[in-house]
Amino acid sequence: MPVFKTPFNGYSVKFSPFYESRLAVGTAQNFGILGNGRVHILDLPPTPSSPFVEVASFDTADGVYDVAWSESHDSLLVAALADGSLKIYDLSLPPTSNPIRSLQEHSREVQSVDYNPVRRDSFVSSSWDDSIKLWTLDRPASIRSFQEHAYCVYAAVWNPRHADVFASASGDCTLRVWDVREPGSTMVVAAHEFEILSCDWNKYDDCVIATASVDKSVRVWDIRTYRTPLAVLNGHGYAARKVKFSPHNRSFLVSCSYDMTVCAWDYMVEDARIGQYGHHTEFAVGLDMSVLVEGLIASTGWDELVYVWQYGTDPRAP
Amino acid sequence: MDMRDLVTGGAACAVPGSSSSSNPLAALANTLIGSSSKIQENKEIPTSITPSSERQIYAESNDHLGALDQPFVDPNGPQHSDFLRGFHGSGGGGGQTELDAAWNDIHPPPQLDHIYDTHPHPQQPILDGPPQRMLSSLLHSFVDSSRGGVPFRATPLPVLGLSEGDKQCIRDRSSIMARHIFADKSEDFINAQVNALLCSLDIDGDARAKGPLPGRFRELDDYWNESQGTLKPGFHAADGWVAEFNQQRMVPGANGWASEFEQQHGANGWASEFEQSQLTSVDQMRGSNISSLAAMEQTRMLANTLAQNDDPKFQNSKFLQFVSKMSRGELIIDDNQVKQTALPAAGDWASEYQNQYNRSPAWADEFLSHGPDQWVNEFTTEREQHGPVDDQWVNEFSKLHVHDWADEFGRQVGEGALGENSTDNWANAYDEFLNEQVAARQRSDTSRGVYVFSDMNPYVGHPNPLKEGQELFRKGLLSEAVLALEAEVLKNPDNAEGWRLLGIAHAENDDDQQAIAAMLRAQEADSTNLEVLLALGVSHTNELEQAAALKYLYGWLRHHPKYGTLAPPELSDSLYYADVARLFNEAAQMSPDDADVHIVLGVLYNLTREYDKAIESFQTALKLKPHDYSLWNKLGATQANSVHSADAIFAYQQALDLKPNYVRAWANMGISYANQGMYEDSIRYYVRALAMNPKADNAWQYLRISLSCASRDDMLEACDSRNLDVLQKEFPL
Repeated sequence: MPVFKTPFNGYSVKFSPFYESRLAVGTAQNFGILGNGRVHILDLPPTPSSPFVEVASFDTADGVYDVAWSESHDSLLVAALADGSLKIYDLSLPPTSNPIRSLQEHSREVQSVDYNPVRRDSFVSSSWDDSIKLWTLDRPASIRSFQEHAYCVYAAVWNPRHADVFASASGDCTLRVWDVREPGSTMVVAAHEFEILSCDWNKYDDCVIATASVDKSVRVWDIRTYRTPLAVLNGHGYAARKVKFSPHNRSFLVSCSYDMTVCAWDYMVEDARIGQYGHHTEFAVGLDMSVLVEGLIASTGWDELVYVWQYGTDPRAP
Repeated sequence: MDMRDLVTGGAACAVPGSSSSSNPLAALANTLIGSSSKIQENKEIPTSITPSSERQIYAESNDHLGALDQPFVDPNGPQHSDFLRGFHGSGGGGGQTELDAAWNDIHPPPQLDHIYDTHPHPQQPILDGPPQRMLSSLLHSFVDSSRGGVPFRATPLPVLGLSEGDKQCIRDRSSIMARHIFADKSEDFINAQVNALLCSLDIDGDARAKGPLPGRFRELDDYWNESQGTLKPGFHAADGWVAEFNQQRMVPGANGWASEFEQQHGANGWASEFEQSQLTSVDQMRGSNISSLAAMEQTRMLANTLAQNDDPKFQNSKFLQFVSKMSRGELIIDDNQVKQTALPAAGDWASEYQNQYNRSPAWADEFLSHGPDQWVNEFTTEREQHGPVDDQWVNEFSKLHVHDWADEFGRQVGEGALGENSTDNWANAYDEFLNEQVAARQRSDTSRGVYVFSDMNPYVGHPNPLKEGQELFRKGLLSEAVLALEAEVLKNPDNAEGWRLLGIAHAENDDDQQAIAAMLRAQEADSTNLEVLLALGVSHTNELEQAAALKYLYGWLRHHPKYGTLAPPELSDSLYYADVARLFNEAAQMSPDDADVHIVLGVLYNLTREYDKAIESFQTALKLKPHDYSLWNKLGATQANSVHSADAIFAYQQALDLKPNYVRAWANMGISYANQGMYEDSIRYYVRALAMNPKADNAWQYLRISLSCASRDDMLEACDSRNLDVLQKEFPL
């Protein structure tokens, strides 16, 4: 599979939910510590030997920490910026008309954005200002702010089944489950003793959620029995940065880490780690699995490379 | 620790603006990077209609994309001053949207954010210029150091001319990220790491880091700002920024002040409050040798970690090359001095030490009257230099080196003797230094948790070293007591009491690693000794190793004749904090008059940072055991951690009344005064602590910080030369 070199350090990569060959990549200069950012829209080439096709790219005043495709319109995507803003881009418009929206409410870096896959009209953003905000495209201001975490919120992810439920992972070492119809969080899970950097819902069991933490572990939880994890997946050598459940397999998940690797796990078997990919030469921080192509994984990292590969193959294979 | 608070609170950034910078590089950097500065000043907030009911709005909201084409006349940014900036600065592609146009009709357009690449100013040179590269290199090496691969070295020169906004970004983000990428390092390490980066970029870490950090309690913020303002001239200039920033900042709230303090003061917990305040204050000393010292210190730690990861991928990371590039290209340091100071001859320090010794008759006399001859001290010195087998020892060892180096460097800077053509030599010397450190670390890694004996010990052969050791310990001559007790356990390796007292002596000497090693041996000799189990629990709490602490505290309960029945042995396989706390509460109910149970409870609460409960437990224990000096110290440290520094002073005073030679309490007292901004008082306590133990390197650093804060620069020289005579005369207690 081809490799794409980004000028800045990779932060996030997401498959389009509409086109099986399309990806959005969020990048930031100087590791996101200071400088610009850029969003790249890439198409996988028809043959693996040819290079990626860059469909579009958008520059930003600050690093892009995350991107999310709209679930309702194939040309829309949201970028989460380090300056606290969310930018909405429309690929069908010329670059000069983009971004079509800038939503500036977070007072600190926005680290994650996730589009509601059920309602398809709203998205949540989570920020280092400890808050989570709920937005719709047609409103200039957020609908609601969720303010319970005591430290940076690194991820907020919608439940794949329930339109109003999402989970958040925070540096305050808790995982929280929220229902936007409720005034406060409906569940607080002290999931790790260290900061939690990421979480994701199982696509087959709407009560199962995975967390990734600075404690190097990935844990799988059933929120009905949240006192002990269903599984503790050890194997990363440094903080686990992102975790993602497979859209096609109940027990399959992938994670990436500051140990520069991407790991594949089957949390239901004894030797849970079923694959490890060492293709990145710097921190691996961005990770996604395609909804449209089973087993297709994308990763990016601070080595400024975007890889796309089929599970079971070598990401670096031409 | 809350890195974010630590680094973002302060505002007294002394970096000169672009116009005042005579550095051509800085000027260039300003044209380059300055353009990225964020517009923070725009306070104009559009009037807005707030959604009447959030839930209702959410329900009403629909997937109506047509709205996207209409300008927002109601931008509705109710709480954010940055709204405008985002609005206008967001134009990644640079195009003016209808929205912008509509908005500009109503309001004068604020300055647009520039994008580095897309719309270069005609005069802007390309981004590959030296300042940008330097910044990149620095950040690279910072990030790289995270993986334990390559040391990140603070580079005190030159200034990049970063804007205030850029600095804020670097400060905040590097701190938060550092906590992710340094996953398993201590908070101190992370602090030092970030401080080194900020030092390099001439960014103030946090002028207020010494004291309580601003939190949700706005009135306290104000109080703090006020008190700082009067103490630190020049601080006011930045108050506006602080205030604005505070408004935006979200604060970890659940535990309020306590958690914040804990987060700030992190890994070492309450008993070594000491060390944290040193680290958090380090930035204030920028330009003095303390910052260099901190930088070198963390360099050493990094070098140590290098040995821990033998993955060739890590070792071959391209960051490595960035680092060396940086060190060769931008650093300006005189070679000879570095070489000497990186690898100082053992004799130098010894003679310096000897000097001190001679010039300080007060403590020397005391020392002599109780201890053996001078040569013992020299041996101790030698030992420290040659046997850095344990973390703490390495630590101490290196601080000594670093100090020399830093002094030397400071002198060089003062004399303007720095040349630009010596960087290669410097790099070589630096490599040598690293190798040395790595080698030391490799030696130390093999023997972690193993007790390290002194090389030569005058007490070997002593007829009754245990008795001698107990006597010395009672007199508070901890280093001597350690030697005597080492002689005892060499003679009788199964003497649990010898090991236990040795461990306590190390703990009071601020060496928890050796303390744990000794206590582990004591436990081997006598696995059910309650005092040993308790001491191990405390030491691990100090290191914030919850699992280990729980294990020993539970062991204490299990082996206790009275409470053993409470503790089912099968529980010891899976200890949860809540279970252990519950058991101890049961024990406390069973016999409310047992001070030990309350002490353990206090320790347990420290583990979870429930300081109020911890204080309560210690106070209960003190009612039962009012003459336990270490208990008073525990109470004081806990109070200090929960930002009751004034109360802490009372507790420390009690400890000192009971044990006047309790060096740690003297120094802790100084810290508490410093935390309250009473620097003159803190100086007196530090000087007293140092008079009793001039080898307390940490205390020297705190003293220096307090001297600076109290504007007693005239005494800095006496501090740097460790001239206790002068200091004691100037600051009698």
